[in-house]
Amino acid sequence: MKTKKSIQILIAEDDDDDKLLIIKAFQKTLSKENITCVNDGEELINYLNKTSNSENSLFPVPDIILLDLNMPRKDGKTTLQELKSHEIFRKIPVIIFTTSSLNEDIQMTYKMGTNSFITKPGNFKDLVKITQEINNYWSNTVILPNKI
Amino acid sequence: MKAEKAPKLEKVKTYSIITLVLVIIGSAISFWVANRIDYYTAELVHTEEVLQSTDKLYATILERETSIRGYLLTGNEDFLKNYENSKTKGREVFNHILNLTEDNPVQQNYLQELNIFIKQRLDVFERSKEYYKINKSLNGFLNNDKVEDAVNGHLAIKNLIDQINAEEERLLIERNEILINNIKALPIIVGLISFFSILMGALTLFSIFHYNRASKINDQKIKNYQETLKEKIELLNESNNELKQFAYIASHDLQEPLRKITSFSDLLKEQFDEKLEGEGKHYMERITASANRMRQLITDLLEYSRAGRDSMESIKMINLEDILDSVLDDLEISIKEKDAKIKYENLPVIEGKETELRQVFQNLISNSLKFSQAALAPEITITASNAPLELIEKYSQLDQSINYYLIKVVDNGIGFDQDYADTIFTIFQRLHGKSEFEGTGIGLSITRKIIEKNNGLILAEGKPEIGATFTIILPKP
Repeated sequence: MKTKKSIQILIAEDDDDDKLLIIKAFQKTLSKENITCVNDGEELINYLNKTSNSENSLFPVPDIILLDLNMPRKDGKTTLQELKSHEIFRKIPVIIFTTSSLNEDIQMTYKMGTNSFITKPGNFKDLVKITQEINNYWSNTVILPNKI
Repeated sequence: MKAEKAPKLEKVKTYSIITLVLVIIGSAISFWVANRIDYYTAELVHTEEVLQSTDKLYATILERETSIRGYLLTGNEDFLKNYENSKTKGREVFNHILNLTEDNPVQQNYLQELNIFIKQRLDVFERSKEYYKINKSLNGFLNNDKVEDAVNGHLAIKNLIDQINAEEERLLIERNEILINNIKALPIIVGLISFFSILMGALTLFSIFHYNRASKINDQKIKNYQETLKEKIELLNESNNELKQFAYIASHDLQEPLRKITSFSDLLKEQFDEKLEGEGKHYMERITASANRMRQLITDLLEYSRAGRDSMESIKMINLEDILDSVLDDLEISIKEKDAKIKYENLPVIEGKETELRQVFQNLISNSLKFSQAALAPEITITASNAPLELIEKYSQLDQSINYYLIKVVDNGIGFDQDYADTIFTIFQRLHGKSEFEGTGIGLSITRKIIEKNNGLILAEGKPEIGATFTIILPKP
């Protein structure tokens, strides 16, 4: 079930297994080119600084960001704070995608400006369902801002 | 610190009591001795008086004889007057002596005898007086016998008076001796008693001093213990917090690889289902089932570590009947399925957190429903009463100074062997195989954790094939 309008997703995830699973799940609805991965917050900010809107760019501008909380170097919360205080990057929707279901994590990240908070599901089927929902929602349901 | 053996307070008390008793005995003996001295002094005066009186008595007897003799020789009536006077005086003195020696039977005997002789003499005097009055002479009245009688009579009287005097003198000497002895003994007795009293007093003071010193050292020791205890408690709290954190973090971190095992198994099954066959498929199923069970265990462990934790929920007064109403609502499906009868009434109001109390009764009733007998519809009765004092006294973890409610949950299920009454509350302990009954064995351990967190106690009693009784003891609000 490929959608007409494809969205560009940027995933910040340090765990290789999770990265593999998330990509596998997203590939059920999106093509490889629409998915980009970075290993931590530091890389995410570096990536965003290098993005351009040109065709076939090596660093395509993301429509949404999937952000893990537990990451080395720069963790999810610090990254979120940086993104949301950045003049340009702040308009890119951020989805916190984490193993945590702690109430304080939920409250804090929303306060910091996250657009969604999703706890990683326990099995692959649920993961596929979630990626489909994300794709459907952000590519069909909502109207996204202009690309930076 | 070097331990100094503290003298017991009892010892100090004993010394003080002995001192007091000694002082009392000493005072009593001194008083008694003083009284004796007083008594014997009075007795001495008394004896002197008796002696003087006997002298007086003899003087009246002599006077009487002289007077009657004078009258009989001269016929002068003045002598008769003297005679009568001495008679009256003699009687008075005699009676006085009789009174003085009232307590002395020896003297009383002598006096009786004396009285007879005096009377005999007086009788002779009276008769000679009457004879003289009529005949104006004693011619024909006196004879040798009468003269002899007179001499003998007077001698007898004098003898008796001497005997009375001798007796009194003997008494005088005896009493004087006792008096001197007593006067001599008094300073010795008082001295001895004072000496021992002072000794005991000193001993008491010494042991009080010693006791104070020892208790000061003990106070210091207690202070040190308290400080050590405080440090230990702080350490314990720290490690307790760490443990809570550990259980929580461990459960979270444990979920990570588990999630991956499940997810990759799913992926494997999805992509390579056709390639797997027979045993391969079976192994895949086993992996998935084990992973699922592990997830359940971790979820339960997480729930257990959260149970009774200081949550934001406020403590309030909760009617247990309301709690049971809502628990039964939640369990409606399995109650209908098992055709269970659940009875409860007159349940008290308890202070606590609603979520916790609900969890307690939910776990207990689910437990009873789960372990029901196959051929028997479950019957569960919940009752409440005041916990009897003897029961509270049995458990040191309960506060003996407050009142408790006793809440019983009784069922007619499969029960259990009483030997396992404690095991059923231990986390992940199960009395039955997983294939017989589902679950991880977490419910009752969470229940116990909550009850104990609320300063209560839960006990289990069981009889195989008969049923189980869970007894909850909770403080009255």
